[in-house]
Amino acid sequence: MKSFFNLSTLSLVILLAGCSTQSVYQPAVEDRSTVSKPLPENNSVVTPADPSLGVKVTPVGPSPVIRSQREEVQQEQRTKNPVPVAPAQVVRKQNPAVVALLDTAKTQTRNGQLRNAQTSLSRAQRISPDDPAVYYFLADTHRRLGEFLQAEQVALKGVATASGQNQQLYRLWKLVASIRSDAGDLEGANKADAVAKRYK
Amino acid sequence: MSKKRTSANKATTTKRGKKSQPRSRWRALGVFLLKLSFLGAVMAAIGLVYLDAQIREKFEGKRWALPAKVYARPLELYPGAQLSIQDLKLELKGLGYKFVRSAKEPGQAEFSKTRARLVTRGFEFPDGSESSRNLQLSFAGGQLSGMKEGGRAAHLARLEPVLIGGIYPQNNEDRDLVRIENVPADLVRALVAIEDRDYYTHFGVSPKGIARAMWVNIKAKRFVQGGSTLTQQLIKNFYLTSDRTLARKLMEMPMAVLLDFHYSKDEILEAYLNEVYLGQEGNRAIHGFGLASQYFFGQPLAEIKLHQAALLAGLVKGPSYYDPRRHPERAKKRRDLVLRVLRDMGHIDAAQYGQAVKAPLGIVKQKSLLKGAYPAYLDVVKRQLRENYHEEDLRSEGLRVFTSLDPISQAKAEKAMVAGLKKLEQRYGKRATSLEGSMVVTDPQTGEVLSIIGGRSTRYEGFNRAVDAVRPIGSLVKPAVYLAALQRGYSLVSPLQDEALRVEMANGQVWEPQNFDRKAHGAVPLHRALAKSYNLSTASLGLDIGLDSVIDTLRDLGVDRPIDPYPSLLLGAQGMSPVEVAGMYQTIAANGFQMPLRVIRMVTDSYGQELSRYPFQVQQTVPGEDIHLLQYAMQEVAREGTARYMYSQLPSSLNAAGKTGTSNDQRDSWFAGFTGNRLAVVWLGRDDNKPLPFTGSGGALRVWTAFMKAEKPTPFLAPAPEGIDYLWVDDETGYLSDERCQGAIQVPFKRGDRPEYRVDCGLEPVENKASEPLDWFRQWFRQE
Repeated sequence: MKSFFNLSTLSLVILLAGCSTQSVYQPAVEDRSTVSKPLPENNSVVTPADPSLGVKVTPVGPSPVIRSQREEVQQEQRTKNPVPVAPAQVVRKQNPAVVALLDTAKTQTRNGQLRNAQTSLSRAQRISPDDPAVYYFLADTHRRLGEFLQAEQVALKGVATASGQNQQLYRLWKLVASIRSDAGDLEGANKADAVAKRYK
Repeated sequence: MSKKRTSANKATTTKRGKKSQPRSRWRALGVFLLKLSFLGAVMAAIGLVYLDAQIREKFEGKRWALPAKVYARPLELYPGAQLSIQDLKLELKGLGYKFVRSAKEPGQAEFSKTRARLVTRGFEFPDGSESSRNLQLSFAGGQLSGMKEGGRAAHLARLEPVLIGGIYPQNNEDRDLVRIENVPADLVRALVAIEDRDYYTHFGVSPKGIARAMWVNIKAKRFVQGGSTLTQQLIKNFYLTSDRTLARKLMEMPMAVLLDFHYSKDEILEAYLNEVYLGQEGNRAIHGFGLASQYFFGQPLAEIKLHQAALLAGLVKGPSYYDPRRHPERAKKRRDLVLRVLRDMGHIDAAQYGQAVKAPLGIVKQKSLLKGAYPAYLDVVKRQLRENYHEEDLRSEGLRVFTSLDPISQAKAEKAMVAGLKKLEQRYGKRATSLEGSMVVTDPQTGEVLSIIGGRSTRYEGFNRAVDAVRPIGSLVKPAVYLAALQRGYSLVSPLQDEALRVEMANGQVWEPQNFDRKAHGAVPLHRALAKSYNLSTASLGLDIGLDSVIDTLRDLGVDRPIDPYPSLLLGAQGMSPVEVAGMYQTIAANGFQMPLRVIRMVTDSYGQELSRYPFQVQQTVPGEDIHLLQYAMQEVAREGTARYMYSQLPSSLNAAGKTGTSNDQRDSWFAGFTGNRLAVVWLGRDDNKPLPFTGSGGALRVWTAFMKAEKPTPFLAPAPEGIDYLWVDDETGYLSDERCQGAIQVPFKRGDRPEYRVDCGLEPVENKASEPLDWFRQWFRQE
């Protein structure tokens, strides 16, 4: 019994010692690789990645890490629940309610009822917050009201939701250009125009 | 001659004078009295004119100090809306809809298993009026799947908003004004029949009524009936003090006559209907039939039926004595008496009478009334209003305040909180007594606050923990540390050293943080250090980039309270309120766009004219690419890190992102996280600040998860910004890998960024995409 206790204490100490050794990364906590070699000790320092480096080929690490190919593995253990890749674009079918509200807002804008148009667009935004068209019109009402700072920010919010949708991006950047030019920022307007052209 | 005459005259006078001395005195007295009465009459006339002016001034001016009315958001109905049939029922209950077999009138709804028909009441919104509509709704999969009106497809409808509270005048009188034309005829008849049956014929005072009352009183040998007309009652309540003095009594009659002289019976009755006191709820005095109908039946006055009208009319005599909640039997007796009088006077027939006396009182439970049900939310609304409005205006001008409170979301949050705390107490027994909690729910896309819980007793109007409990946020601060690092050249796979750490501070104190498991984990990739919430690696990362950078990032995320620049900030020693945390996480959820949290959408005057609005406002303070990387790591928190419990309850497709937080000595249990359309921050702890037997993951996360499970929010799906590339990297080492290599996962990198080394899995060396200059991209956001 005592020897068992000693043995387990010893193994615990070894384990803990293992935890404290330095390596590029923690030696696999959960080793799913069949052929990977344990990582030798490495006193590498934390190196923040430099985005300006334009390296073409990435070298194998100073202590090579070998992985098997997926095809070779019969059944990969799926204990992990990885974060999925974000979609390049999120496009939803426009809800008829949003279409109706956008129509109302357009009429209100035409009639000079810009505040009411904003209310209609806010309703549309709550229903469909990832619809770039909503931000386009909302930004435009701010522009018409002379609220240029807010107009540009709302348009940029539209740009963020329109990722990957070239037509929408073109329209939104054109709007940013006109907001900036209305605000007297001609240089900024030219820049926005240049960005818009990328999506034409 | 003249002398003689004079003397004769004198003699006569003297003679007469002697005889008529008493007479002359009487005459003088008479003259004096005449003069006096003339003077009196003049005074009385002046008095009357003055009285008259007063009466007219008050009657024609602003009659009452009207409380501000605070509304919840109106429920938008449209095909595709995330709304279950149960959700709709909850909303309609709050609006006092009657659930009937066949809905025909406004305020009625009928339900089958997957369908509903309702007749809405319509509402005057500041941006236009929504008329009453007869809608047929169908539900499938927790959604409103179809909507028809008169057999044709309808795209959009707005229900009337639930009235959730008011800001009352100094005298605490609450009332909802009604127009006489909207008052059911039954109520007017019942009121006149029981209180003043000669109302339409008398001139403000009713001698017949007084005589009748005296006769009744003499017969009964005690005071049973007063002879006051409705006009006199109005005068008494409206113009005079409530002291029972003779002077007051004397004033009452001429004033009543004057009022009757100037105004039509309907005008006077309308004022009476709005003035009369009908009940008491705590401090709040219920005045007028409009509010009384809501208070007792949860329905607008226009919708009440005969038996309800009789009850309300009966209450006038003694709102406290006949209180139908406290003394239902007395109230029923009184109601039936009113019905009997109506029948005897021929206003209703025997059949109507028979049906009405059989009807139950139909009083709604006070708890089901939503007015006053949201003290924590209302508290925040009031604080915001006070920044822009005078207290006096809020209490008296009848302002209408439209908020974004979502009663459905709030109900689910409350349920999750109350049940969650109960479960924790059951599990941990004595170690978890007197737990408290608070919660804030927002729509991360719009910045609107949907619900707030200020404490365990959700209806208790007391300490609002969501705003006023400033507690150390623990690891909730870490996303700011990691974001600061990502903005300063780190990537998600940058190796961090999770090793023991010791910092000597200027004051000689030593800061020696520990991991939760009291172990050091060696080198770990940045994303994993956040997912697993390692303290040592976070501390060394934070010290490396500098406290100032972290504080700058907290500012960019919207935190504006003073921050203590101590190293312990890196592990969340900084105190913040749940509302502040929500504001901070909101910026993360909204892809780097900071937006002030909003509880109020608009304020209008009592006529619906817009006074102020609180529109959607955004400002991008963090580039979308950096936020995208952070969101990835925070999704990992939920998938493989400290918050993985959530996916035992929620669908994996939800893609939720968040962070657990536990303060020093486990005194606070936090979770803040978001999905596509819901962001929630939950705090659990104790008011005495004693340690808890659970962490953020074991406590607050449970409540958060239960809430999201009930709320069924949309998944978090943000498109990758253009400056982001997903690369295959080796999960374990963070080295560049390939789709075909074992252990490879996809991780986002800012364009041009990549791991320094690659793994070898016997394939051709992995080619990296050529990096593109970021300059043009950064210029978009003007952060160059």
